[in-house]
Amino acid sequence: MAWNDPQWGKKNEGPPDLDELWRRFTARLKGLFGGRKTPGGNSGPNGFGAAGLGIVAAIIVAVWLASGFYIVNTGERGVVLRFGKFIETTQPGPNWHLPWPIESVQVVNIEQVRTVEIGYRNNVKNKMLKESLMLTDDENIIDIQFAVQYTLKDPEDYLFNNRSPDDAVRQVAESVMSEIVGKSKMDYVLYEGRADVAARATRHIQDALDRYKTGISISKVTMQNAQPPQEVQGAFDDAVKAGQDRERLKSEGQAYANDVIPKARGMAARLAEEAAGYKQSVIANAEGDASRFKQILVEYSKAPVVTRERMYQDMMQQVLSNTTKVLVDSSKGGNNLLYLPLDKLMHMSGQGTSPAPVMLDTTPKPGTAPTTQDDSHSRNTFRSRDREDRP
Amino acid sequence: MKHFNILIVAVLVILILASLTMYTVDQRQNAMVFQLGEVVAVDKQPGLYFKLPLVQNVRYFDTRVLTLDPAEPDRFITSEKKNVLVDYFAKWRIIDIRQYYVSVGGDETRAQTRLQQTINDGLRAEFGKRSVHDVVSGERDQIMATLRQKADQDARKIGVQVLDVRLKHVDLPQEVSESVYRRMEAERKRVANELRSTGSAEAEKIKADADRQRQVIIANAYRDAQAIKGEGDARASTIYATAYSKNPEFYAFYRSMDAYRQSFKSKSDVLVLEPNNAFFKYMKSPNAGK
Repeated sequence: MAWNDPQWGKKNEGPPDLDELWRRFTARLKGLFGGRKTPGGNSGPNGFGAAGLGIVAAIIVAVWLASGFYIVNTGERGVVLRFGKFIETTQPGPNWHLPWPIESVQVVNIEQVRTVEIGYRNNVKNKMLKESLMLTDDENIIDIQFAVQYTLKDPEDYLFNNRSPDDAVRQVAESVMSEIVGKSKMDYVLYEGRADVAARATRHIQDALDRYKTGISISKVTMQNAQPPQEVQGAFDDAVKAGQDRERLKSEGQAYANDVIPKARGMAARLAEEAAGYKQSVIANAEGDASRFKQILVEYSKAPVVTRERMYQDMMQQVLSNTTKVLVDSSKGGNNLLYLPLDKLMHMSGQGTSPAPVMLDTTPKPGTAPTTQDDSHSRNTFRSRDREDRP
Repeated sequence: MKHFNILIVAVLVILILASLTMYTVDQRQNAMVFQLGEVVAVDKQPGLYFKLPLVQNVRYFDTRVLTLDPAEPDRFITSEKKNVLVDYFAKWRIIDIRQYYVSVGGDETRAQTRLQQTINDGLRAEFGKRSVHDVVSGERDQIMATLRQKADQDARKIGVQVLDVRLKHVDLPQEVSESVYRRMEAERKRVANELRSTGSAEAEKIKADADRQRQVIIANAYRDAQAIKGEGDARASTIYATAYSKNPEFYAFYRSMDAYRQSFKSKSDVLVLEPNNAFFKYMKSPNAGK
């Protein structure tokens, strides 16, 4: 009858009668064990009952024996105990042990990497300050987070020798790290010695765990974080910044040097060039002057008196035409007191707008103004020696 | 039917008898058998054993390595009267269950308390002899070894072996930590200042060196330039001398003419002249020259 038969539940109203069920069950049992009073049964009731008993016993024994099968996966080992005593370690694959209560088995995963985190839980940011703050050799405090990864090397030792082998890893790791840190200088732990600290920790933790026969094999100690504590982080950052500042200052100095020295080289080159230029110009001038003089000298030698007179007159003309002149005849009047308004003369000539050269006789009177003439052809025999400003 | 009943009864009887007479000792345990309160057997090995029913009973003891790990770190005083907070753990296990049972009644807590007292006492003694530095780094191994030895000695009396005593943490109390932080800060500040000042010193050095180089470069250049100019002047002098020495008298005249011209060429130069001057002789009379 299907469960969804609409007739279901209509045959007997209400819940099934438990007495009825029990009665049926015992009846069936009786049948099974030969209690059935079958008329005409050739075998005796006793014989049939023994056979049934045998079958049941066999089934029970078979089930019991089958309960001894177990499977060990790769990376696991089975540890078999007989009456509580260790017998053997079984390899991966299907295995069988004598069933309960004679033997029992415990399957242990030995290759699974287990991790203990010290100084933090789950996330490095989730710090456990009680674990992570450690004193260093130079009496500083550092904040250290690390993880210990381990596998099992001996499942028997792991199971039987320690009550809490996994806790032992944590305790030993904490103790070892605090010892190593306690024997190191702060800078060593924080900076250059991190890898070394981890390696030493691995070794020491393993040693201690071996002493307790935990059957644990430490595969790695990973330093997650080693820092100065929060309280002094600022000062440490500033020190790092100071290092940068130092580099910056040095670079600035270098930049200055790189600016100044090439400029100086440039200036040196300029001096050298100018000197070379000066040398050539001086020589050229000398040659020019000499050449001019020689040529004049040739002409002069031909007619010295005339040339001399001409040159004198030329010079006088040029000088007088360009200067302010005061003509005083002292021979006639003897030594008359003569007043010359020199300052006014200077002022007038300095204005240059209406230069009025004055010619004075013994009796001062305005004279005719000679024509002014710019000395366009003035030239220097000796060039002025130019000197650069020295820095 | 009768057989069946008999069988069930037999099985039950066997089971009851077995449970009363047989017992197993686990690999992790040792067992001790009491007969009416008296210890009659100390079974060390795990396995299956028999005992008399009803009059004998069995007690089990854990033989694994156990941990003594105080919940709170304790305060200890060092030789320089500083307080330190010490957190430690000890690994121990029962090796003589009869002794263990006699001494602490097989009670783990009592055994732990006993061990803790010994270790605390040892720690106090060891720390009192040493400075903080020795405790933290220098003589840590010795302290741990001494403690283990002492604790083990004492533990043997209660049938226990102490495998190890390890200092987990040696910390400074909060108020001391604060001053350590201040000191660390000051130290970093010192480092920072040193870095900065060495940086500026080095920069200054580089700059000064650059200035020196500049000065040297320019001075050398000036020296060389002057030498070159001197050469030029010398050459010019020679040229002038050779030219002018051909007629020094005329040169003096020629040069004077030029010098007069150069000297009086501005309106601000005022010449006060006498008409007697040779230059004006024709101004006085056109026949003066004759």
